[in-house]
Amino acid sequence: MKLSCLQENLDRGLNVVGRAVAIRTTLPITNNVLLATDQSRLKLAATNLEMAISCWIGAKVEEEGAITVPARLLSEFISSLPSEKVDIGLSPQTKTLGLKCARFEARISGVDAKDFPPIPKVEEGIATKVEVEALRQGIAHVVFAAATEESRPVLTGVNAEFDGDLLTLAAADGFRLAVYKLPLAQPVSQKTEVIIPARTLAELNRLVAEQEEAVEITVNPDKGQALFRLKDIELVSQLIQGTFPNYAQLIPKSYNTRAVISVADFLRATKTASIFARDGSGIVRLVVAPGGEMTPGKVIVSARSEEIGDDVGEIDATVEGEEAKIAFNGKYLTDVLSVLHEAQVALETTNPSSPGVIRPVGVDNYLHVVMPMFVQW
Amino acid sequence: MARRIMHIDLDAFFVSVEQVENPQLKGKPVVVGGRPQGRGVVASASYEARTFGLRAGMPLTTASRLCPQAIFIQGSFPKYRDASQRFMAILADFSPYLEPMGLDEAYLDATGFESIHGSTHQMAAKIKQRIKDELGLTASVGIAGGKIVAKVASELSKPDGLLEVAAGEERSFLAPLPVARLPGIGKKTEQKLNSLSINTIGKLSTMSLSALKSHFGASGEVLHRFANGIDDREVKPPAAAKSTSRETTFGKDTRDRSLLKSTLRYLGERVGADLRQRGKRARCITLKLRYADFTTITRRHTLAQTTDSDQTIFDTGLGLLNKALSEERQAVRLIGIGVSELVEAGKQLDMLDTSARRQEQLNKAIDRIRKKYGFTAIQTGRTLKLKDIFPEDGEGYTLQTPSLSR
Repeated sequence: MKLSCLQENLDRGLNVVGRAVAIRTTLPITNNVLLATDQSRLKLAATNLEMAISCWIGAKVEEEGAITVPARLLSEFISSLPSEKVDIGLSPQTKTLGLKCARFEARISGVDAKDFPPIPKVEEGIATKVEVEALRQGIAHVVFAAATEESRPVLTGVNAEFDGDLLTLAAADGFRLAVYKLPLAQPVSQKTEVIIPARTLAELNRLVAEQEEAVEITVNPDKGQALFRLKDIELVSQLIQGTFPNYAQLIPKSYNTRAVISVADFLRATKTASIFARDGSGIVRLVVAPGGEMTPGKVIVSARSEEIGDDVGEIDATVEGEEAKIAFNGKYLTDVLSVLHEAQVALETTNPSSPGVIRPVGVDNYLHVVMPMFVQW
Repeated sequence: MARRIMHIDLDAFFVSVEQVENPQLKGKPVVVGGRPQGRGVVASASYEARTFGLRAGMPLTTASRLCPQAIFIQGSFPKYRDASQRFMAILADFSPYLEPMGLDEAYLDATGFESIHGSTHQMAAKIKQRIKDELGLTASVGIAGGKIVAKVASELSKPDGLLEVAAGEERSFLAPLPVARLPGIGKKTEQKLNSLSINTIGKLSTMSLSALKSHFGASGEVLHRFANGIDDREVKPPAAAKSTSRETTFGKDTRDRSLLKSTLRYLGERVGADLRQRGKRARCITLKLRYADFTTITRRHTLAQTTDSDQTIFDTGLGLLNKALSEERQAVRLIGIGVSELVEAGKQLDMLDTSARRQEQLNKAIDRIRKKYGFTAIQTGRTLKLKDIFPEDGEGYTLQTPSLSR
């Protein structure tokens, strides 16, 4: 293997695949990054066995070849080099990768590329395309609601339902549920439902940040893996096997109280209250008070801590229905309010121990359900 | 107005409570702690037993060697807790500024309240009399301008004593006493001071602050103030506890997983009941193990959601136990479980898992039954195993050191 490429391209490529490098692993080679010539380009790849990222960068290839080397070492070395041409050569006998850039030279001991875990091929299956901006919004609106604890594995994923030209993303951790609908740029031939690890989607969101072209999504016929193809980047992810909860039945069909409030005001009041709720269980109490003939309705947001003190904030609201009292974990409210772009949000509640529903006003492609906290008033 | 602080300390508390209940024990060497051949320690010794050199904290085997004729009593924590509550209630009648220190001693800020009783001396005499009349116990009282001197005075006056140190005489009162009399001076500090030929508190008080700091670091400053009889700490009611835990030493070191699990379950249930009674939830669960060679480890796990459920406390504790045992081959001497990072009750409801709600109702029902019929009246299968090992007293199983088994 003999080739040359630009330091900045190699640095960017290593950054792209770097997030798929295994951290704690029983398979040491997954700490490595694969370098392989691929026609007139250099292919970089890393995998943690749940997710694999491959990235192609422009290179002048003189001799074909492949090797794996410790990813962090290579990445740190390359990023500290000047922005010039890097000459790369492999000594096949000693499996040593030689690197030369300006007046720097390094040799890194590698492991044979044949020992690198194969990255699953995802061809055939269900194929579709999604516009980058729609995908980014979709991921941002649901991914935070997925579970981080492994006790219920399906909940660490985001349920993706491809149906015609509509993609519905849903995530739930037991305490909240987020559902976002977005259009597909290319309709699917048959309705398909898979569970994508939330970590994969979070990574995908990072990768598409610099993209403009639509993202191609392919799901294996056996629904074992999915491929996300970007420009010069491919992300292959294992899919989570199991049945996602039937979340439609978790969404309340009716409400007793509906308050329409400004997202910015609600977010500010919740954040302020959360400061006081911090050393408790994060309990933020809401009182939704309907207005009178001459007075507007309001939502009173409060928190108290036995030791520190308490805080009360008021926001104007258009209230429909009876007075309501309900308490939420402040973090769950700030999480959802922070991703909304709309000016106003509707908060629908039934009683203090039934889920509250948050819907941005003016759009109908997103809804968020939050379970309350049971507290003494 | 010059502060008048009282330190009230019940004499040989556990033993005295036993003697009130069973007057035949009066005037005899009595030890509360457990069986003489047991592995526990002396929790309390009567003054008669103390003349043989018996002290609280001494292994029971040593105690029985020093004083074979002593009468050893298992004791019962609930009995002492009740007596303690009545003791504190009497003190609270005299001043609202009350700071309990454990079960059998307390500080009382008498400043301004003495005028009702004539003088602080008369006030203290009244307190002692009420304790004698209502509980049948004797107390020793020290009175001074600050906590530290009040405590030294009560210690010095024991038993059944009353010693007042006049305002301004704190320093001269302490001066002739050996340094070990000063609270806060342990064995190590005492040895170090003696090696510097500082034997009395008076001599200690003449050491310069900078010399003390260079020998003892930050605590040198405290030593300096205390030795000079200066202590302006306030008497304040205890803050709400930030954690709660239970632990026990096994009669014999054990590797028996099922015994460890049952004991963990039992202790966890006691912790859970305590939490629920106080209306708190916990975020952090801690397991404590002491191995045969006395190495002690603690392992903690922070939960994503707070809990007050026996099942969660046990499951988390068991996970920590299994992990700890997989890393250590030794037999276990002591096991304990505790919860911390307590927060006000307020439970995150779950939309998918209804088992949490069922667990909560189950815990509530069990708590009610136990309140009425005793802790062992209803049990999980896992703790039933303990029935063959430990005696029960209606309030629960009596573990290794019964006088301290809450």
